[in-house]
Amino acid sequence: MADSTTIDADDDQDSGLKRSITGAQLFFYTLGDVLGSGIYVLIGLVAAAVGGAFWIAFAVGVAVAAITGAAYAELVTKYPQAAGSSLYVQKAFNNKALTFLVTVSFLSASFAATGSLATGFASYFAELWAGPPALLVSLVFVAALVLVNYIGITESVVMNMLMTFIELSGLIIVIGIAIYYVAQGDADFGILGDISVSGNPALAVLAGVAFSFFAMTGFENTANVAEETIDPYKSFPRSLVGGMVVAGIVYVLVSMAAALTVPVDTLAESPAALLEVVKQGILPFSTEAMTKIFTIIALVAITNTTLVTLVTQPRILYGMAREDVVPGVFARIHPVRRSPWVGLLFSGLVVGTLLVTGYAVTAAGGGIDLVNRLALVTVVFLLAIYALVIVTCLKLRGQDEDERAFRANTPLLVVGLVGNLAILYYAIYDDPTSLYWCAGLLAVGVVLYVVERLFGSKGTAATAPPLETDREV
Amino acid sequence: MHVIVATDGSKQSLDAARKLKSFADPAKIDDISVVAVIRPLAAVAFADDLSAGSRKQAVGEAQGFRAAAESAVATVAAEFDGWGPKVHKRVRSGSPANEIIKAATQYEAGLVVVAAGGRGLSDSVLVGSTAQRVQHYAPCPVLVVRPKPRKPRKARA
Repeated sequence: MADSTTIDADDDQDSGLKRSITGAQLFFYTLGDVLGSGIYVLIGLVAAAVGGAFWIAFAVGVAVAAITGAAYAELVTKYPQAAGSSLYVQKAFNNKALTFLVTVSFLSASFAATGSLATGFASYFAELWAGPPALLVSLVFVAALVLVNYIGITESVVMNMLMTFIELSGLIIVIGIAIYYVAQGDADFGILGDISVSGNPALAVLAGVAFSFFAMTGFENTANVAEETIDPYKSFPRSLVGGMVVAGIVYVLVSMAAALTVPVDTLAESPAALLEVVKQGILPFSTEAMTKIFTIIALVAITNTTLVTLVTQPRILYGMAREDVVPGVFARIHPVRRSPWVGLLFSGLVVGTLLVTGYAVTAAGGGIDLVNRLALVTVVFLLAIYALVIVTCLKLRGQDEDERAFRANTPLLVVGLVGNLAILYYAIYDDPTSLYWCAGLLAVGVVLYVVERLFGSKGTAATAPPLETDREV
Repeated sequence: MHVIVATDGSKQSLDAARKLKSFADPAKIDDISVVAVIRPLAAVAFADDLSAGSRKQAVGEAQGFRAAAESAVATVAAEFDGWGPKVHKRVRSGSPANEIIKAATQYEAGLVVVAAGGRGLSDSVLVGSTAQRVQHYAPCPVLVVRPKPRKPRKARA
């Protein structure tokens, strides 16, 4: 106690500047963020696109994403403010329109991801209680998370780690089942080399990669906590890339496990595909109990990732409002809770609208898989942003250099850029209609921009609402 | 005596600082630490409603939440300029209540000053108020400054 007082006494100005996120915490934050997103929701789609060898798709997707992660790490150590891709693009190109486009694309991707996760949540939830309709479950899920964010109980680092361990345990169960299965001698390893889809196998894998890429998204959210990381120069690149690589290894193992234990057709048709592994009843325990436990784990995993996306969206909106890019109301902070309640509410509404629209489309036209579509929309945006971030990273070389900053391997970055663009090209080529969805989401951003231009020119963000008016309710 | 004045960047926290100044005897206070806590995992880690200058930035020149916290601390600290006690500006990060309590222990504080936060429904229904936790677990007396009763205009702006 006494010695810390003497340490602080040296300087009034900056004494007691304390950063709180350790490298290990950041590692688990990344891991939890990445692991939760895709694997529970999308593994069936990847299996459908590729066949038994779909682990290759995960391996490729993970590799490309990890390279992008390295570019992020370099930029974060150079510019440790919490801002993410839009800040870097602005620094490199100094083009307002481009920055705005990136921000809106990222937000849209984030909204789409949240919608997709909410649908995935509903699929798993139906295993526990099939009563309520899926749309209702996903809407209530989003509403509940918005409320939780508003209250602020997601801010606990300990809770974050706990959820990550739960997520990890679910995937370890899957891997464990496969190991047990292999040990029994029933496994047919031929399935791991099987690309059953007709046509060019390379294209089939690329299609799978586009889906699997969704499973890697979420890592960019860690840039948000860069500013509060202890010794960011050293710990940030390690934790970010390390977390992604570990997540990637887990993904590859899980997809191998799923391919070995469950027929690919079953995986492809199931909305909650990982559950099929447990349902095979390979382990000598009660399958019913295992199914229940696993479902709860999956729900926790999806919840964790969705929470992070719902933290990020209002944060981005807040930043944009402060820069007068979107209407100033998004910078409004609840006087007591200190949370950006307008931004949160807006995020919730957009995701809700997306879910309802998707449901209406399915009900009216039929045949369109909502999760599938939303995931692909997300991927198109993110791939474009990731490619741009790598370009940005290369362009900012030689500027603001700091010997402490992390420097990503240049040839590797080029490989990553080509990889991102190839997947992007294929994602659009494979499903051109996803461009309509992208356009729709971008339109929301443009409307905001126009509204800001028309009504917000006097710098609405600059005046905090007087406390009294804010507390009318 | 070492007094800790917590700020979350809200006007209420500035009012709390003024409250302390309005009745306390500066001769009895040796040190004042103005403490702001950044919440890294929150959607908005720190919002500064106090310092007018910090609100506008060019696109892409986003200052970090840390800078916002520092300017809020500076604004509150400026209240005590020339009052007597030595003023320290401190920014921490983590869970606000925890960090305030830790700071109080670390600096062997004799008093912690916090704003009560809200009044009404959101305060009683949604638990987890920082002021409440500080009151319960602080190692020293706590001054919780309640918001002023609702009036058409604030007494002092």
